[in-house]
Amino acid sequence: MTKVIGEEPKPEQEIIRARQRERARIMAWLLGGFVVLLFLITLAKITGK
Amino acid sequence: MQMTKPAALPADWRDLYALTKPGVMRLVVFTALCGLLAAPVMPPLVIGFTAILCIALGAGAAGALNQWYEVDLDSKMKRTANRPLPAGRLDRQTALHFGVGLAFFSVILMELATNWLAAVLLASSILFYVLIYTVWLKRRTAQNIVIGGAAGAFPPLIGWVAATGRIELLPVLLFAIIFLWTPPHFWALSLFVRSDYAAANVPMMPVVAGSAATRRQIMVYSVIMAAAAVAPWPLGLTGWIYGGVTAVLGLIFVAFAVAVARNEATEPKMMRPEKRLFAFSILYLFVLFAALVADRWLLT
Repeated sequence: MTKVIGEEPKPEQEIIRARQRERARIMAWLLGGFVVLLFLITLAKITGK
Repeated sequence: MQMTKPAALPADWRDLYALTKPGVMRLVVFTALCGLLAAPVMPPLVIGFTAILCIALGAGAAGALNQWYEVDLDSKMKRTANRPLPAGRLDRQTALHFGVGLAFFSVILMELATNWLAAVLLASSILFYVLIYTVWLKRRTAQNIVIGGAAGAFPPLIGWVAATGRIELLPVLLFAIIFLWTPPHFWALSLFVRSDYAAANVPMMPVVAGSAATRRQIMVYSVIMAAAAVAPWPLGLTGWIYGGVTAVLGLIFVAFAVAVARNEATEPKMMRPEKRLFAFSILYLFVLFAALVADRWLLT
């Protein structure tokens, strides 16, 4: 009987990498959002709108 | 205190999100938003958005630090045993760093975006929830929820102050309403999950004083809260929409509290009035604050 590779449990290292990648991606989006938010806050403070 | 073993895997973002108690945050965000929208001064949209974001992040930080401190309690209660820390999906150090980082971030951003008073109030609410309620009161006295309820009462006050920079009578009354709402809300819950609290040695009112005394206390607080909730109307701080809605809702709340006071059941299965009051209390707060905003925007 042949084994289907996709059905084998993921090695721990792979799970660690996947979680790190996922967290890094979320952090990048959050940091990008934060920069935009700071820019908009600055504009609002200057213009009062 | 029980220490969880450091998890072998890096934390999953979903567990970090769960650490912020998103369910509790919904009510926090809603009441804060209503406090902001009910204020006589409207800040620029991005400032208002940031203020609400900071309040949500501050509440998330408080929730994370609460879970960091209460791993031992959470692991003993069915309701909380599957949270990331007691379930072993997250280690305590990560939770602590996450909570402290989020707390500082939310307070600093609040100061940058709005004003120092709103930032001080936000910091006070986080410290109150973590130090006064979680660390000091929760394990020591049956009045834990009564005094600790103040932490949950801050959001509309912070929302208002973020918009105006001042503390005024109406947001103080909104604070008082949530403060008085908390005991009947939590005691109704603690009646039907009493065994959980007893197993974890948490001195909640039903565990310490018994179900009958708790039901009487629920009744007393419900009457005082319903009266306090209507108060802004005769004081001229709101219009008839808010006054009418809170009067009707208050009567229903008190009627449900009377049903709880009359119930003598000891088995959770027979505690329908308690479950009904608990569910209604959440709806009550949502509708009350929605009526406040409707009143402010439709009548002025």
